[in-house]
Amino acid sequence: MVKYFRDIWESLSTMMTGLGITWMHMVRIRQNNVTLQYPEEKWPRPERNIGFDHSNYNVIRSRLQVDIDDCIGCLKCERVCPVQCIKIVTEKAPVRGEDIKDVGHIGVTSTGSRKALVVTRFDIDMTECCYCNLCVYPCPEECIFMTGGPNAHKHPIDYEFSEYDRSDLIYRFAKKGTKDGMEKILDAKRAES
Amino acid sequence: MTVDTLFTWLGGLIPAMEGSGTLLVIAILIPCLVLFLVVAVNAIVMVYAERKVAAFMQDRLGPMGQGVGLHAGKWGLLQTVADALKLLTKEDIIPEKADKLLFILAPFMIFVGAFVAVIAVPFGETVIVADFNIGIFYILAIGSMGVIGLILAGWSSNNKWSLYGGMRSAAQIVSYEIPAGLSIIVIIMLTGTLSMQGIIQYQEGGLFNWIIFANPFTFVAFFIFFISVVAETNRTPFDIPEAESELVGGFHTEYSGMRWSFFFLSEYANMLVVSAVASAGFLGGWHSPIPGYFDSNGWGIFWMMSKIVFLIFVMMWFRWTFPRLRVDQLMNICWKVFLPISLINIFGVGFWTLIFG
Repeated sequence: MVKYFRDIWESLSTMMTGLGITWMHMVRIRQNNVTLQYPEEKWPRPERNIGFDHSNYNVIRSRLQVDIDDCIGCLKCERVCPVQCIKIVTEKAPVRGEDIKDVGHIGVTSTGSRKALVVTRFDIDMTECCYCNLCVYPCPEECIFMTGGPNAHKHPIDYEFSEYDRSDLIYRFAKKGTKDGMEKILDAKRAES
Repeated sequence: MTVDTLFTWLGGLIPAMEGSGTLLVIAILIPCLVLFLVVAVNAIVMVYAERKVAAFMQDRLGPMGQGVGLHAGKWGLLQTVADALKLLTKEDIIPEKADKLLFILAPFMIFVGAFVAVIAVPFGETVIVADFNIGIFYILAIGSMGVIGLILAGWSSNNKWSLYGGMRSAAQIVSYEIPAGLSIIVIIMLTGTLSMQGIIQYQEGGLFNWIIFANPFTFVAFFIFFISVVAETNRTPFDIPEAESELVGGFHTEYSGMRWSFFFLSEYANMLVVSAVASAGFLGGWHSPIPGYFDSNGWGIFWMMSKIVFLIFVMMWFRWTFPRLRVDQLMNICWKVFLPISLINIFGVGFWTLIFG
């Protein structure tokens, strides 16, 4: 008989303990919450550590990035691409090494080369890119590179570049309006001659 | 009665049709629709609340959405609306070997059992569809009708899990009716009436006139009643009839779309009804805890609803705290603990009333 009541008491008290625990978790949700609202919140990226200095390690495979101001339009990356995901169209600049304000063309690259061509189209289709890094080596101006790693000072690493629409994965690096601007300039020239 | 009042009011409004059958049907349909709205809104809000409570107790956030577009609104407020729309548009599958008539009938049986009981629930001093003189007995009797629906659903699905769930629910609900009923007898002994409004009027005059605080035996009776009705509504930790992890949903394994959602609707309607009975019977119904303050008709609805919502929250709290009981443990608690204690309660309340007034 004593055991009967002790059992009832024990079950009641342990139930209360359990209810207390869930209650405390419920009211402290702000501290205890483990869910991350992913696209809005992201975990901090862990410190990159591969066992040796980054600068020796030039083949980090994230996404391609182009410094279009430095591009001289040599098409070397387009030719070397094994999957032909890079498309470049260039127009001859009126004067070599001169700024063209209308189309945002800077005449001299950061390494001092005078640009003879205006890049009117520089598209990289990231759905086709195989991340082989081959386009990076031939670039004379080192303006096409993989983000992050040794290039982190130029562009932070970007490993989450999913899009809602497939066409948004075609990165258009050429400055907006370059094409129309160049056509206008060329038309004016033709009309002159 | 509300229907009579509506009938005479409508007759006065449209003198040409006074006393006609059409007006009677309209007078019956109006409270019906209002109650259906109450039940449906209750289900939608409570499903959302349940998901949030569950998530918070498990250190999650639950349904969340940011801004506009294809998200579920701010804090996921539109999640249940989206779910309801999804259920409405889902394919309605009836298994080939199922007993079609009973299969279709079962969800309605359960829903009717839960829904019809709501008419005797007093939401305020005058806000009640029908104040029967046997109100509490009516609710208990009609509430047990749901078990027929559960057995029908289990049987007609022609599925061993469903049948097992149906049989379990029959055993469980039939057993737990007894301690629940015996605890209600305690109320009836004190108040001397079966009418819901009569029971609530007996508890007038503040917190300490509520039946739960009338004497130590009623205090115990409240907990026995509440735990028994949690078991009757098939909620965790007493959810062995549906037991997702062992019976794959139990009696509603084979149901989909709107028919399935009727099971859910009736579960939440049942929760509403039993919480209403518990708050009307033990917690003073629409009376304010402080006598003389906030005691108007509008506040009455507020107090009744807040008591109901609190008890539903406690049910959710139970659900996300306790693990499911085994069948033998369930029967043990009912027959070896609740039944003797509720019998002692009846004697105790009788003697207490005899000695102390």
